[in-house]
Amino acid sequence: MKLSVALLALLAGPLAAQSARARLEGRLPSAAIPAVDSLVQLAFQEGLPTEPLIQKALEGGAKQVTGPRIVAAVQVSLAQLRDARALLARAGDRPPPLPSEVTTVAWALRRGLPAPVVERVVAALPHAPRAAAMHAIADLVAHHFDPDSAAGLIIDAVHHGLQRERLLDVSTAALHELQRGHTQAEAIGLVRQALPNVPGPPKPTRGTVAGARRPGAAASP
Amino acid sequence: MNTIDPRIHQALDGDLPLEGVPAELRPVVRRIAAAADLLAAVGPAVSLESRVMAEIRRPAPSRSRRLTRWLASPHAITFRIRPAWSLALATAAAVLMLFVARGGGPELSEHEGLAQFVGRFPDAQSVHVVGSFNDWRPRSLPLEDQNHDGVWRTTVVLPAGIYEYMFVVDGERWVTDHLAERLVADEFGRENSVVIVRPVRR
Repeated sequence: MKLSVALLALLAGPLAAQSARARLEGRLPSAAIPAVDSLVQLAFQEGLPTEPLIQKALEGGAKQVTGPRIVAAVQVSLAQLRDARALLARAGDRPPPLPSEVTTVAWALRRGLPAPVVERVVAALPHAPRAAAMHAIADLVAHHFDPDSAAGLIIDAVHHGLQRERLLDVSTAALHELQRGHTQAEAIGLVRQALPNVPGPPKPTRGTVAGARRPGAAASP
Repeated sequence: MNTIDPRIHQALDGDLPLEGVPAELRPVVRRIAAAADLLAAVGPAVSLESRVMAEIRRPAPSRSRRLTRWLASPHAITFRIRPAWSLALATAAAVLMLFVARGGGPELSEHEGLAQFVGRFPDAQSVHVVGSFNDWRPRSLPLEDQNHDGVWRTTVVLPAGIYEYMFVVDGERWVTDHLAERLVADEFGRENSVVIVRPVRR
């Protein structure tokens, strides 16, 4: 049993590298592929998610960015993932952190959430997934809400039983109050009073669903 | 063959006074004379030919009047369907009902949602949306300008999640979707738009 696990672990690295390299071939300058590939390998060995790095490289290739800039962007993404994992550890998440949570925290930091606020949210919401909570707070911060107040509102919403995408409805409700002429502080107060009763998103019409199609390749980062 | 007594004829013709007719024949003479008086009062008889011609000369009723008359009058309608055909018709009707109930389009699983992309590019010949949902492949997902008003749009089924994207106009110009609620630096000096796809239950 232990031998098979060890063998699987030994094989997993090269297989992951092969699949990453196959996805990169022909999509970015050939000179950049070895460097990107080694960064992907490094992330894999460190137990970090590799998909954000591959996506960043593919994005650079599609945008016809030069090889060195692609490599630099992938290095930045790797650093963000490392920071995110360290933050999760500081906030008390049990090691090893889930790759999806590392990606979520890296996203939150990229969207401009202060690290202490992210730590507070991670500590207050011990159960993954936290992606919707992070984006709900980031949406409010992007509209000049105080980061601590925004985090407090979303944490309150979780305590009122709201989860996952419903947390995005909380930030949307606060933004609607802002549009009605209230200040940020007033908007947060009004939505907090209404919790957990915040309106959900409108259901897509039958025509919208009928006109929808599936893209060829879909990969959630 | 019955024959009429000649004395009745004579009495009716006025050749013989009624008193000259035997008493047992007088009521018959009276009844026949009364009947003759009644026929004379009705006037001349209308022949079949004249009645048919009158009907032909009458103007034809209008189309609406005929339709009203047809709708108002009872009709017997009979269907003759072979069992095999009726089964096929029932199946076709069931399939049609199922299609109408579903509303057409792709079937969404509980972990999938819809992303709508809309951009205004009045002079564009083509617009594509490119992002992490399609591995940043520039020409895999076109938008359409169906009304030829410069507004390009498409709706895509995606697994629930968070995606970065940009528009590619005319195959070369990368444009940020500034209508998107979320933007994030792309590390290449521009901004990607961010779409959060929520699971949709129909």
